[in-house]
Amino acid sequence: MSVIHDIGYRRYQGPRLGRVSVLAALYVHGMRAAFGLGRTFKAKIFPWSVAGIMLVVGVVAAAVKFQTGLELLTYETFPDQMSMLLILFCAVVAPELVSRDLRSGVLPLYFSRPLSRADYPLAKLAAMITSAFAVMAVPMLIMFLTAAFSGDGMGAVWDEVKAFAPGLAYALLFALVYSSIALLVSSFVSRRAVAAGATVAVFLVTAPVVVVLTFATTTTGQQLAQLASPSTLVGGVGQWIFGRPEGMPEELGIGSFGPLYGAVTLGLIALCVSLLLARYRKVAS
Amino acid sequence: MPINTTIAWMTARGLFGRRRFLLLLPLPVLLVALAVFARVTGINSGDWAQPVVNGLGFAVLLPVIALIVGTGVLGSEIDDGTIVHILTKPLSRAEIVWAKFLVASGVTALTAAIPLYVVGVLVESVRFGLGLAAAAAIGAVVYSAVFLLLSLLSRRPVLVGLLYVLIWEGLLGNLVSGTRVLSVEQYTLTYADKIAPTEYLTGNVSLTVSIIMSVIITVVCLGYAVLRLRSFTAASETS
Repeated sequence: MSVIHDIGYRRYQGPRLGRVSVLAALYVHGMRAAFGLGRTFKAKIFPWSVAGIMLVVGVVAAAVKFQTGLELLTYETFPDQMSMLLILFCAVVAPELVSRDLRSGVLPLYFSRPLSRADYPLAKLAAMITSAFAVMAVPMLIMFLTAAFSGDGMGAVWDEVKAFAPGLAYALLFALVYSSIALLVSSFVSRRAVAAGATVAVFLVTAPVVVVLTFATTTTGQQLAQLASPSTLVGGVGQWIFGRPEGMPEELGIGSFGPLYGAVTLGLIALCVSLLLARYRKVAS
Repeated sequence: MPINTTIAWMTARGLFGRRRFLLLLPLPVLLVALAVFARVTGINSGDWAQPVVNGLGFAVLLPVIALIVGTGVLGSEIDDGTIVHILTKPLSRAEIVWAKFLVASGVTALTAAIPLYVVGVLVESVRFGLGLAAAAAIGAVVYSAVFLLLSLLSRRPVLVGLLYVLIWEGLLGNLVSGTRVLSVEQYTLTYADKIAPTEYLTGNVSLTVSIIMSVIITVVCLGYAVLRLRSFTAASETS
């Protein structure tokens, strides 16, 4: 019989922070990890260079509009044009959030805390979405502020707000879809480099499928073809909300399938999140 | 130059012995599946050949496979620290780099050339298929040299390689024509176009430039990789 002796160590008697604090700590840590805060310079290069490029694009677009009145990028086209950079950003950040923990084998330590199985992936996902949204929202905010302050009267500002809000929602949709896919893919790969490659591959590989499908079938089929890739899927929702961009031929549009695109997008997010939760239901020690 | 079979054998086992190798399979399978789908549904070859062969094959399949394999042959040993065991053996650094480079280009060439050959046959003819396969094999050699060097230069070679493939070759290669002279993808396209001329692919760089640049890039990258490995400092995993 073995007995645990009380050898007189002082016990902790202070307040115990609950689940919410654990979640908040994990979220804040995730946000810091996403941008390499508190890490060496090397960890900051990739996220900040991607964020920097987007910021430059936003500032240039705002300045050109302010100086000449020419709209290089609207609030709707900005997320569209930045989607390749957003893929890169997700491929950099998602492995940083989840693959690192897999690699160093700290998951059993996390789950021995008052933290439910769902908390860990959800906190990571929240950090991923917030950071992905932030890198797009900040340049858009600059575009908005420049336009709002250069207009005359409150009416102009209100018009600007009406254009800005849906654009921001569109950017959030991009962030939601890309983040959940990137985090799901990365959560299965422990080497960060391979996780980044796999994440990008998911997006790159599905793009030519769309092109082949558009040539393949009838007009209906062509209008449905864009469901095949995450980038064009979100683009399809954008067309549903904002209408087909000028100059785009009808057969490349989504026709009357807008609600379907919206439903598939929501379904895709739900699927990714539930797979992510299922993945963390059991972790190897 | 003779190849050190022990190093080559170890490298090949390191590549194939891991689950990660399965990551290489979906891309070729998807490429062939798309081609078969397009062929079965009877779409005009002119419509689908360009996006499949160029858009998926040469722009994604070849560089991504070369990236995973090329950075893996040396990078995985650097990552887990076993490179020290090879470095302490009485082997010249050139011998190590050469063996690893041959394995990387061989594996990449096989994985990329076979599906591209099948696609080429489905698009037009055996000749087109052979042209694509040969171009992919040459491209695999150049890419492997570049990515092998990259795994010695950076602690995160895959990310840097992705930046090169996506931004330099993908984005800038289409917008700024000047960058095409320094893009392996464009050389590969030129080779494919010259070996089997069709209306589906057009090389944007002349054949002479492609050949000269391919040789220069391969030789310089391998030479510099040997130099880097000569002054290699084994570091623990940081940041």
